[in-house]
Amino acid sequence: MPTNSEQPQAKWGMVIDQDLCTGCQACVTACAMENNISFVGEEDAGYGRSMQWMRIERFWTGSYPEVTTGFQPMLCQQCGEAPCEPVCPVYASVHSESEQINVQVYNRCVGTRYCANNCPYQVREFNWRDYPRPEPLNNQLNPDVTVRRRGVMEKCTFCVQRIRRGEDQAAAEGREVLDGEVLPACAQACPANAITFGQLDDPQSRVSQMARSERGYKQLEDLGTLPRVTYLKGGSSHGGNG
Amino acid sequence: MAVTAKPLSGPAAGLSERDDPGEHLMLDPRPRGEMNSLVMESMHATSWRFWAVTALLVLVVAVCLVAAWGYLIANGLGVSGANRPSYWEMFLVNTVFWIGIAHAGTFVSALLRVLKVEFRRPFTRAAELMTAFALINVGLSVFMHLGRVWLFYWLIPYPNERGLWPNFHSPLAWDFLAISTYLVASTMYLILPLIPDVAMARDRSTGWRKLLYRILAVGFRGTESEWVHLKTAMNIFAFTVLPIMFTVSTIVSWDFAMASNRPGWSSSIFGPYFVVGAVHSGIGAVVMVLYVIRKTMKSMNYFIRIEHFDALGKLMLVMSILWAYFFFNDYMVPWYGGDAFAKALQKFIESGPLSWILFTVVLCNAVIPWLTLWNKKIRRFPGALFVIGLLINVGMWFERYMIIPLSLTINRMPFTWRIYVPKVEIPLTVGTIALFILLYMVASRLIPLVPVWEVQEGQMMHSLRKVGKAMATSTTEIE
Amino acid sequence: MAETITLLALFEDLEPAAEGIERLHTLGLADEQINVISGIPVMERILGRPKQHSKIPLLALAGAVGGAGLGLFFAYGTPLLFPVYVGGQGLLPVPPAIIVVTELALLGLLVFTFLGVFFESYLPAYGPLDYVPGISDGKIAVLFSCPAGERKKFVEALTASGAESVKPAEAQKL
Repeated sequence: MPTNSEQPQAKWGMVIDQDLCTGCQACVTACAMENNISFVGEEDAGYGRSMQWMRIERFWTGSYPEVTTGFQPMLCQQCGEAPCEPVCPVYASVHSESEQINVQVYNRCVGTRYCANNCPYQVREFNWRDYPRPEPLNNQLNPDVTVRRRGVMEKCTFCVQRIRRGEDQAAAEGREVLDGEVLPACAQACPANAITFGQLDDPQSRVSQMARSERGYKQLEDLGTLPRVTYLKGGSSHGGNG
Repeated sequence: MAVTAKPLSGPAAGLSERDDPGEHLMLDPRPRGEMNSLVMESMHATSWRFWAVTALLVLVVAVCLVAAWGYLIANGLGVSGANRPSYWEMFLVNTVFWIGIAHAGTFVSALLRVLKVEFRRPFTRAAELMTAFALINVGLSVFMHLGRVWLFYWLIPYPNERGLWPNFHSPLAWDFLAISTYLVASTMYLILPLIPDVAMARDRSTGWRKLLYRILAVGFRGTESEWVHLKTAMNIFAFTVLPIMFTVSTIVSWDFAMASNRPGWSSSIFGPYFVVGAVHSGIGAVVMVLYVIRKTMKSMNYFIRIEHFDALGKLMLVMSILWAYFFFNDYMVPWYGGDAFAKALQKFIESGPLSWILFTVVLCNAVIPWLTLWNKKIRRFPGALFVIGLLINVGMWFERYMIIPLSLTINRMPFTWRIYVPKVEIPLTVGTIALFILLYMVASRLIPLVPVWEVQEGQMMHSLRKVGKAMATSTTEIE
Repeated sequence: MAETITLLALFEDLEPAAEGIERLHTLGLADEQINVISGIPVMERILGRPKQHSKIPLLALAGAVGGAGLGLFFAYGTPLLFPVYVGGQGLLPVPPAIIVVTELALLGLLVFTFLGVFFESYLPAYGPLDYVPGISDGKIAVLFSCPAGERKKFVEALTASGAESVKPAEAQKL
C-alpha cells in the first residue's frame, strides 16, 4: 500500500503536445458531449463558473507586431499525491488504486469545495445551479455517465467510463488492453493529434515514450503533486509558437 | 456580604471624595437581597422600545435569514457570489468572524477567572451568552456554504450501513469536532454558574417564570456539597476551556493553512494569528455588548461601571498590539521571500481595485486603537469604547475577507484570476447579526444577566485597609 | 431510641453562624449531623466546617480517557474498518490523530465534569427539600438533627449566638 515515501506507480497517463495545439477547442466540446457537462450560459461563464473539464488557456506573448499566442490545454492532472484528496471531509475525492487516477464520487459530495480550493491547477468544477436541459437536448446525454445535480463537485475523469469499457472488453476477450485502444473524448477529437493517452506503467506504450521526450515538462512540478499529464513544449525550434 | 453590609467606599466609609471616586463595584457592596432585586428588576423591565426593536429584529431574521437561506437552498450556490477561484466566500468569512466573537466569552469568563482578575465578576455571564449565540451563528454560516446542506450529517462520525466515516485527514472534519466541542463546552460552562442564580430567580418569581426557573434550577439549594461540586467543576472548566479556545481557532485557521499551495494561505503562522485575531475582535464585541446592557437595562449601571470599560480598554489595546505583531509577521515573510505568486497576491491586495480593504483593516485594527486607547479619558468614556469596539469588529471582519475571498483571487493559474462579488451573502450576513442580537435580547429578559453570587463572593473578598496615610484595596484568597 | 428532629437555624451573617456551629459542637453534634446552606460558597474554614472533597476531578479524568479512546477509534479505528487512500498520505497518520484525540479528550473531560456536578449532588431534585427562600438573599441556614427531647436546649443555644429563627425544617417544593 502506498505511503508518503513510496512513489505511487502511475497507470493511465496523458501527453499533450503544446507545439501542435491550435486552440480549436474540439477537445473541450468533445469532453462536454461525452461527459454530460451542463451549459452554464454566458453570464455565469463570464463570472468564472464555466464547467469545462478541459479548458484551453490562451496566452499572448510579446507586443504588437511581434505577438504570438500560446495555448495550454488544462485538465485534471490526476495527481499521484493529489492535494484535493486529503481535504475532503466526506471522502468524496479519493484515489483509485487500480486506475491510479483521482476519482470524484458525486453521490458522496456535500459541496464544501475544499478540494477546489486546494487544487493548484484549478481544474475542479462546481455545479453552482441546476442547469436546465430543455427538450430535445436531453437526448444527447451519454448513458454511460451520471448527470450531476447542483451542489456537487466534478472534474475530468480521464473518461473513466471508456477506460472501464476497454478493460471489460479486454477481460472478456482474455487479453490485456492494447496501447491506443482506450481513448478519452478529447484525444479522440483533437484534429492535430496533440493529445496522446495510454498506460504509463508500460514503458513501450506511445504515451510513455512521448513522456520521456526532451521537450517534456510537468505543470507546477515543484509542488510535488506527481501529475500524470506531461506537456511537451519546445517552442519555435520545434515547430511550435514562441 | 449578607444584610449587615458596611460600605467600604464613599463618604459613609469615612473616605473623602478625593481618596475614593466611588467607582469600584467590589468595594461598594450592597445587601444581597438588594442586588438580587436589581437583577430581577432588569430582567422584568421591558419598555416599548424593547418590543419595537425585538419586532424589527424578528422581521429582519425572517427576511434576511430564513427567506434568503431558503432561496439559497432551493436555487443552489449560484445565487451567491462564489466562483472560480473564490470557491469560499463570505459564509466562511462569517464563520471565522463569529468564532472570534465566541472567543470573547471564553476569554473573559475562563482566562480572566484563571488569572483571578476580579473586575471580570459582573460580566462573565454576559460574555458567555455571547459565546453561545455566536457559536450558533458559526454553525449556521458553515451550513450556508455547503453545496448539499441537506446531507450535512455525513460530517458526523457515526456507524452507518454504508460503512462510511468522515475523513479525519481533513481539516473540515477536525473543524466539526472542534466546533462541536466548543459549543458543548461553552453551553455547559454557561449553565454551571447560572444554576445558583436561577435558584435565586426561582425564589423570587411567580407564575410562568417560577415554573421555568424551578425546572432550570434543578432543585439547587446551596448546600455545602452542592457548592463544592459546583466550584470544583467550574475550576476544571475554566482551565480546560482555554485549550479548547486555542485549538478551535487554530483548527479553523488550518482550513486555510492546509491549502499549502495557495499563495497567501501557505503560512505556518496562521494558528496563533487567528487565535489572537479572534480574541481581538471578541473583546471589542464584549465592550459593545456591555455598553448596550448598561445603557438600556434598568439597574445595570450598579454592576457595570466605568472601571470595567477602563480595564477592557487596556485589554483592547494589548490585543491590538499583539494582532499587529502577527499581522506583520504574516506579511513580512512572503514580502521578503520572493515567491512570484505570493508577491502578485500582495501587490493585488495593496494596490489592486480592492485595496481599500487593506486600508480599512489596518486603520480599524491598529491605527485607531493605538491612537485612542492609551488615553485614560477615552477609555473611561463608554460611548467612545463602543465606537472603537465596533470599528475593531468591522476591521477584523474585513481582515477575514482579505484572507478568504480576496486571497483566493490570486493563485498559481493566472488564467483563472477573477474578483469575487458577493450577492445573497450580504442579506444572510445581516440576518445572522440580527439573529445574534435577537437571541441576546430574549435571553436578557429570561435569565439573570449578572452572576450575583459571584459578585457577592468578590465583594466579600475585598476590603480597604489603611497603609500609611492612604486607604488601599486588599483582596484575600478565600478559596 | 430517642426520636430525632431536624431543625433549621437561620443566621443573618457569617460570624453568628460560625458561633452557632461551634455551640452545636459543644452540645455534642458531630460534623456529619450538621449541614450548611448558603447563597454563596463559603469557605469551610470560615464556619469551622471540615474540608469538603469532590470526586469530580476523578470523573473528569475518566471522561478524558474515554474521550481520548473515542478519538483513537475515529483516527485509527475507522480507517482500518474502511481503508481509503487520499493524497498519497499514509492510512494511519499521526498528526491528524493528535488533533482528533486532543479535541475529544477535552470534550470527554468536560462532559463528565458537567454530568458529575449533577450526579454527585443528586440533582435534579424536584421533590420537597429542606429550604428557606431567604437563603438566596444572603442568609445562612444551619440544618442539623438533634434528639427531640433536647430541642429546647439547642434552640436556646443557637438563639443566644445570634440566630434569627430556629424552626423545624419543613421540606417544601422549591
